[in-house]
Formats: sequence, C-alpha cells, structure tokens
Amino acid sequence: MITHHPHYELLNAYVEGELPASLSAGIAVHAEMCEICAKNIQRITEEAAANTFSDDANVYNSLSKKVITDKAFDNISEFDLMMKSIMEDDSITEMMTQEPLDVEIKGTTYPLPTALRSMAMMGWQKLGKLSRARINLNEGSLHTSLLHIDKDGGVPSHTHKGFELTLLLEGSFEDEKGTYVKGDFIWLTDKHTHTPHTKEGCLCYTVADDALQFTQGLSKLLNPIGKFIY
Amino acid sequence: MYTPWTYNSAPTEIIIRNSTMNSDEQQQLKSWLYDIATDRDKNAFTALFSWFAPKIIQFGIQKLNTESAANELLQETMTNIWRKAHLFNGDKGEATTWVYSIMRNLSFDMLRKVRSNREDTLSEDIWPMAEAQLVQEDSFDDHLMSSNLLKNIDILPEAQKEVVKGLYLEEMSQEQLATKLAIPLGTVKSRLRLALIKLKQQIGESK
Repeated sequence: MITHHPHYELLNAYVEGELPASLSAGIAVHAEMCEICAKNIQRITEEAAANTFSDDANVYNSLSKKVITDKAFDNISEFDLMMKSIMEDDSITEMMTQEPLDVEIKGTTYPLPTALRSMAMMGWQKLGKLSRARINLNEGSLHTSLLHIDKDGGVPSHTHKGFELTLLLEGSFEDEKGTYVKGDFIWLTDKHTHTPHTKEGCLCYTVADDALQFTQGLSKLLNPIGKFIY
Repeated sequence: MYTPWTYNSAPTEIIIRNSTMNSDEQQQLKSWLYDIATDRDKNAFTALFSWFAPKIIQFGIQKLNTESAANELLQETMTNIWRKAHLFNGDKGEATTWVYSIMRNLSFDMLRKVRSNREDTLSEDIWPMAEAQLVQEDSFDDHLMSSNLLKNIDILPEAQKEVVKGLYLEEMSQEQLATKLAIPLGTVKSRLRLALIKLKQQIGESK
C-alpha cells in the first residue's frame, strides 16, 4: 500500500501550475497510482476554477501585488477582432489516442508513465547495479532522472545537500525507516540520512536539487559518484 | 523554498468550501459550450468569450506578468475552447473547471518557455485533460436504443448521422466504424456524444 503522499500545499501549487515540470510530473505520476490524491487534485482544481472565475475574483486580485490596469479591459475592439479571428477557422481538434511507451533496462521492460512520455530522455549510464537515465528538462539546479537499482542492489549511506524526491515506479526498496512500494512519493532533505537497498530491484523517478553526500567511513570515497546519481 | 512536503500516512479527503459560483451560472456556461460543440454557434461563443475574457486576462497578468502575455493566453485559451468544445463533458464536471484546466496548461507551457527556454508542451501529459477520460466512456449505447431517440436522426449534421447510423442501424462496433470511415476512434466517440446531446435537446423541445 502507498504510504507516502504529496502534501496539500504541493498539490495546490501543482493545480495552479506553479511547480517546475519535473515536480509536476512527479505528482501526476503519483496521482495515476493513488486514488485519494487524484480525487483531492480534482477537488482542488474545481475550487481553484470557481475562485478564479467567480465575481469575487476582483476582490482577491486587489489583495495581490499585481495591479491590473484598465487598459486591458478597455480594448473592446481588440477583443472583438480576436474573437472573430478565432471563429474564422472552423476546424476542430480531434482527440488523440496515444500508444503506450516502454523503457527497457537490464532486460526488463517497464511502462513509461504518461506524464514523462514527451520528455527528452538521455541514454542509460550504468555503474554496477545502478543505472541512471537523465531526463533533460533544463530546470537549472533541478536534476531529473530515471534510476534503476538491480536486484539486491543499493546505494551506500548518504544524505542530500538539497532535497530529493524519489517516486517508486516499479518494485520496492527498504531503508532504515521502512519499506517503500510502487507509488510512494518520498521527499528527503539534508536532515535525512539513509541507506536504500532493494531485494527485488526497482525503477524510480527522481528529482534532486543537489548531489548526494556519502556519510559513512569508506563510502565517503564514493562521493565522486554522488554526482552520478544526482 | 522547498520543504519536506509529504504525508507519511494516507491523506484525508479534502472538503472544499462552498463554491463561489451559483449553479444557474454554471448551467449557462455549459449550455453555451454545448451550443458551440453541436452547432458551431457564434453567439454562444461570443457570450462565453465575454464572460471569461476579463478573468483570463487577470489570471494571465498574475501568472505571466505582462499584458501582452495575458492577451496571448486569452487568445490561445479561447481558440482551444472553440476547437475542443465537443470534448467537454458536462457530466464529468463544471465548465469552469474545464476552462481553468485549459488555461492553466497553456500558461504552464508559456511559463516554461520563459523559465527553461523550452518549446515543449508537457502540460497535456502532466494534466491529462477531461477529453482523455472520454476514451473509457461507452455508456451511450443504452440511452440511444431505449429511448426512441433515433427517430430524430435526420436533424443531425451528416458526419454525426453517419456515425449513429453505422453504430445503431448497421450494428458495427466503434472500432469497425472508425476503420470504415478512416477516422480516429476518438472522433467516432466524440461525434456520437455530440449526436446524443443534440438528440436529447430535440426530445426536450418536442415535449
């Protein structure tokens, strides 16, 4: 059962389109697997829509910092032109049915979640039981990847300089805190140190904003590979 | 900016505040959308445009900071409404929610262009729209067969009539019909839904 879910604040920012694509996709993928969060997203969207389009929207707006000039509303003729030009083109947009996409790594094929299907994915880089495919979203310090850990593999004890979101797409892993399963939305910061290990193998979607920092004895020698996973 | 924003237990269901929109208004918006979908009704579109435009401009200025970007958002949002009205399904949610989703998606892609210098349109994958839900919906069959709606079939535009005839008189499956007419399966489904809306309206009027 999924036990790790995105917080309300995060869902709210997602609904308003405020989050970067990497985190938005993480929430979308979680919601595909989690009925409760999907339902909550639906409700937050209904509420956001009603608030945005109600007549009270003016009041809300006067409280925010952005000032609306009258100019935008005076341009009746501009709006008129826009409306007419839209209606001149009588074509309609048909619904697209999309073929499911897969990713293959170490002989196993996994379905690619819808939210990730149009993202630019680099090739797999492999290091022992770890494989990583970078997803190139160009979001500055945010690095997004698919991370695969083969059966009986793990990552030595480490912490995160910034934050790291790990979303389990397939399989499971354990660390000091417990077991994580498909769909779990795990958010760690520099306050957390953990040693993830997987028996059955797992595929994760990860978003991190800084490199891993290895913390224990000899594994500190591994700090150069922190950049590999990050 | 980022805090550990996760629950480590199942979140409770969110109860939303009473909607600030009254239901008559929501009903009006829905019926404009249906008129656009079934008849390409320009008056309905004009009404809908006037209702939404100032609010979309406000939203655009808040999110995108400039009036020209807000105008672009308005143009794109309204163009999408004009072209996708047939994909709106009032049984699944309010018109405001549907329009909001379209507007939010467009504004997300516009912001991403500015912030990450990317021309990709990821929003449609990240927020699967109401139209995608349509694929699973096949509940029209019984309505049409049981309620004698078919007698009004002649009022339908040719494209919709063709679909209704193929499915109900020639008893083809939606897939077979899509192949025969060389149109996507989604088009068969949306034409069927439009036909149903139109036929239902007809029944209402004749009473």
